[in-house]
Amino acid sequence: MKVDKTLIASVALHVLVIGWGLVSFSARSLEAPPPESMPVDIISADQLSRITAGIKSGEKDKPKPLVEKVADATPVDDNVGKITEKKEIVTASAPEPPPKPVEKPVEKKPDPPKPVADSKPKDEPKPIEKKPDPPKVDPIAEALKSEDAKKPVPKPQAKAAPPQPPKPKQERTFDQSKIAALLDKRDPTRQSITGAALNSSASLGSTHGNAPSLSQSELDAMRARLASLWNVQPGVEHPEELYVTVRIRLNPDRRLAAPPEVVSTGNSPRYQAAADAAVRAVLQGQPYTMLRDETYDQWKYMDIDFDPKQMFHS
Amino acid sequence: MSVTSFSLPRLPLSRRHVLIGGAGLGAGLLLPSLAGAQTKLQVTEGNVAPLPIAIPDFVPGSPADGEVSAGVAQVITNNLRRSGLFAPIDPAAFIEKIVNVDAAPQFASWKSINAQALVTGRMTRRSDGRLHAEFRLWDVAAGQQLTGQQYDTAPEFWRRIAHIISDQIYERLTGEKGYFDSRVVFVDESGPAERRVKRLALMDQDGANVRYLTRGTDLVLTPRFSPSTQEITYMEFGQGDPRVYLRNIETGQTEIVGNFPGMSFSPRFSPDGQRVIMSLQQGGNSNLFVMDLRSKSTTRLTDTPAIDTSPSYAPDGSRICFESDRGGKPQIYVMPATGGAAQRISFSKDDTNGSYSTPVWSPRGDYIAFTKQGGGQFSIGIMKPDGSGERILTSGFHNEGPTFAPNGRVLMFFRDPGGNSGPSLFTVDISGRNEQKVPTPGFASDPAWSPLLS
Repeated sequence: MKVDKTLIASVALHVLVIGWGLVSFSARSLEAPPPESMPVDIISADQLSRITAGIKSGEKDKPKPLVEKVADATPVDDNVGKITEKKEIVTASAPEPPPKPVEKPVEKKPDPPKPVADSKPKDEPKPIEKKPDPPKVDPIAEALKSEDAKKPVPKPQAKAAPPQPPKPKQERTFDQSKIAALLDKRDPTRQSITGAALNSSASLGSTHGNAPSLSQSELDAMRARLASLWNVQPGVEHPEELYVTVRIRLNPDRRLAAPPEVVSTGNSPRYQAAADAAVRAVLQGQPYTMLRDETYDQWKYMDIDFDPKQMFHS
Repeated sequence: MSVTSFSLPRLPLSRRHVLIGGAGLGAGLLLPSLAGAQTKLQVTEGNVAPLPIAIPDFVPGSPADGEVSAGVAQVITNNLRRSGLFAPIDPAAFIEKIVNVDAAPQFASWKSINAQALVTGRMTRRSDGRLHAEFRLWDVAAGQQLTGQQYDTAPEFWRRIAHIISDQIYERLTGEKGYFDSRVVFVDESGPAERRVKRLALMDQDGANVRYLTRGTDLVLTPRFSPSTQEITYMEFGQGDPRVYLRNIETGQTEIVGNFPGMSFSPRFSPDGQRVIMSLQQGGNSNLFVMDLRSKSTTRLTDTPAIDTSPSYAPDGSRICFESDRGGKPQIYVMPATGGAAQRISFSKDDTNGSYSTPVWSPRGDYIAFTKQGGGQFSIGIMKPDGSGERILTSGFHNEGPTFAPNGRVLMFFRDPGGNSGPSLFTVDISGRNEQKVPTPGFASDPAWSPLLS
């Protein structure tokens, strides 16, 4: 009997400890997410760029979106002159087309690229890359391709292979380029990060490719706007007592979704006056046109501190 | 001079306001859980400038009230502008003409002229002849009423109504107590320099409504207001020695404070108005005494072979600051109100080795103002009661006799440029900003600010 009691006691203790651990650790993990979300976004940006690249390759049908968003940045360094030709062709057709384009570029596709002009070059490198990618492509990328492009994914690989052979017939240099492309898997990522990522995201219409982060220039511009509107009482005594924090929620149109809320505390009439002045500045500052759509998640909720003490050194 | 006041009810909120309020409440409930995800922005630079405020003429209840309606707005405008904390907007820029003070103004039109605050009001005549005043203070950016009051008074006191409204606006927008509904007693000086006539005079803090309390046959100096009654105390050169007098400014009744051998001078009321503290001459020295005005009992506070003068109570009545040359040159000392050990607090930190005189304790308790003499200059300054944080507000040929406004944020003093000219009154913010000349009929010196009248 005694033995049983000790066993029961130890079991109970273990259960308690383990249970406590589960609860406490799980609670911690739950708490963590908000801060961690930032790094996760950053990491995902690269993956997203790859994904977007894959999407581009997958989208044979919709070359236009890609073209539109692609800017100047598409120079492909690694590719040989021949590749550049391919690029033009490829660009016209978007990711999937490239496989065919590779052959066609010389023949057919060169025409479509022309209308597209600058934007195409960027796309081209990707398609080239993508051909190699399918084999190596990450599951995520494939999944995305399958989702977004559905058909394109299978086609690119199959079609890509056939089209390429024709090219070699004409020019063997193409083979080298293919090899380079295969080796260049890294390059595509680079390209995607720079110009391509933007293009891909746009074409997909999906959310954000690049990790959106509030730039210092956005914050500085907003700070400058508030400073110009924040009316501070001249010669105020004990300004260190008048530190006011205003919490705001912004709509995507950069206007306040609700009246500003003063979340700092102070009960004196002077503090009330200071809080009113801070709220007036926030109200007058809208719309905050300096904020970018891409960073909405980060300026949707903001805490703005109004600290007057540095203005009164004496 | 009675003014009755009561709070003006807020205008009924429009449906839009209610909706916004509800949204704000909802946001408040949701936000705490998101606190960790907030983007923080710190603003440490602002626009240190007077607050732009629009004060259109009040709406007259009848055509006969037009003059007083415009006058009230003008007095408010003048008060707020002179404070240095407000920038009244030129009425020529106004877009909306206020015709109905019972309806919310068109905030967009006031926003467009950069007004941050707006004052609307109405002056009407009651059937019994009394004047009825209403005003509302609006936050233009938020579209909300910040405060609203209404008052009844006799028509001749319309300026007081304007001062009271000025104080309400000042208090709501700065968080500091106002000081506009107050008066100043001073020494009016007229005639040639060698035969200057000095009369006691009383006026509103903005220079209006000047009244002369004495005829000028006897020399008067250092008038001081009672904090609790309609009385002043001052020194007057009569037939014999100069004496400290007490005078009711409503009835004109006058009496000598105490019956002392020798000269009594430099009087000042205690914060409760029940006692007068002053200097009594004893040979070549003078010491501080306090007399209870009811029992007439007199208590000695200092006993030194030196000149102790210019005593002034702390607002809580616990301590006294005064001027003494017991250390050689005049300096400022602080001691308990019951007498005892005095501690010197003034130490000239520049190379002028200056002396300090005419200390006066702020009604807020946070500063002691003084006249500093050194380097051929007379300066007005303030320091904390422990002697730290000395700040010179103005310097020149001759500045003297600071007195605090009821809110402790503004000082009045007199300045004499020398030569054949005479002294004038000036105000300056305790930050050293916004020096303003106070309009007086002639030369003026020795000002003393009253407490708030209401």
